[in-house]
Amino acid sequence: MSAPSASAATHDAGHSGEAHGHEESKYQIYVQIAMLLAVITGLEIVAVYLPFAKWLLITALVIMSIVKFMFVIFYFMHLRWDKPFCTILFFIGLVLAGGTALALIALFAAEASVPLPSL
Amino acid sequence: MSSHAGTIDHHHDPSTSTGIPNKKLLMWAFLASDCMFFATLISTHLIYRLHPPAGGLDPKKIFSIELTSFSTFILLMSSLMMALAVTAIQKNNVKSCRWSLLTTIFFGMIFLGCQVYEFEHFVHEKKMTLSNSMLGTTFYTLTGTHGCHVAIGVLWLSLMYVRSFKPAQPDPQRRRWFSRNLLHALVLVAALLLSLKVTLALVHAIQVEPTFGSALSHFVRGDFIYLVGMLLSFGGLVWFARPAGPVDFNERHAVDVEGMGLYWHFVDIVWIVIFTVVYLLEYLK
Repeated sequence: MSAPSASAATHDAGHSGEAHGHEESKYQIYVQIAMLLAVITGLEIVAVYLPFAKWLLITALVIMSIVKFMFVIFYFMHLRWDKPFCTILFFIGLVLAGGTALALIALFAAEASVPLPSL
Repeated sequence: MSSHAGTIDHHHDPSTSTGIPNKKLLMWAFLASDCMFFATLISTHLIYRLHPPAGGLDPKKIFSIELTSFSTFILLMSSLMMALAVTAIQKNNVKSCRWSLLTTIFFGMIFLGCQVYEFEHFVHEKKMTLSNSMLGTTFYTLTGTHGCHVAIGVLWLSLMYVRSFKPAQPDPQRRRWFSRNLLHALVLVAALLLSLKVTLALVHAIQVEPTFGSALSHFVRGDFIYLVGMLLSFGGLVWFARPAGPVDFNERHAVDVEGMGLYWHFVDIVWIVIFTVVYLLEYLK
């Protein structure tokens, strides 16, 4: 059983006290982040109807998605407060996934690999 | 249940070599692998959107940006409630944790309802099926897989909610506790499915009938039995949730709720990507 025990944590009083400081302010942080995410989602929806260059809008949408993504994993998923190993572990999967996606898209962009139009 | 702040440090576990609770580490490893699973589905969809087959369907004439935006907002709010549920149980506040779990389940069901409605609309109104177009194949596979993740998340949340009622005192008739909670879980799942059925039937009736009154009579004629079942199951839930002494669910179980929360937030971040890649990019001129 790996669940943290109360007695073990009591020995580490300084660390625990610091953690409780975070706990107190988490409620406000979560609500503020949720509001921010809702606003960014609204901006994304508005952005697609703006008469700007396509590359600019795609860049803006990608950046806004990344911002939302990072806020969720670092705050809602506690990576900000957890051991860095959790972040490393997740980012290994994320980098492999992103690399696979980019490689597949680049591979199928080659002329010889374009999907058959008759499909 | 008391709501005093607990004494456990939930971010560090000195009993493991990594300092991270093993359950949490396992969940992060699983989520890292699930990233790759979704990356292949998303890139497959993108490849066929970048090289669409001749005579394919136009997504802009099929998708409903209003409905998708609404379900995106709902999923974001469910993530907030999930985060609050984790914070509540870390502070030993079982009552608040239960309410947050129930709200997360409610938002999850709204998202699933929107997806069921969307799929039904696309198949019957827009004539986009899983097999009649490449867009349909990649779209339904990707969003359907995500929907399955949401459904599994809702089931997990429901089981955790029922788990929170486990009595603290050792039960000499252990079987009685088990069968009671199994029944509680069944009633909760029935309530969720019946609510989904009733809501979708009501929306369908409003769409096919000219006035609200006729839609209501159409609904009562065809689906009244589901409404009765839903109300009965809600009554059952209230009965099961009545106070019955101390429970074996507290700050020590925060890691279980947190693991489930990680899964739920992951479902949310996958949707953040899907919303942009699958839906929003189609609307660029």
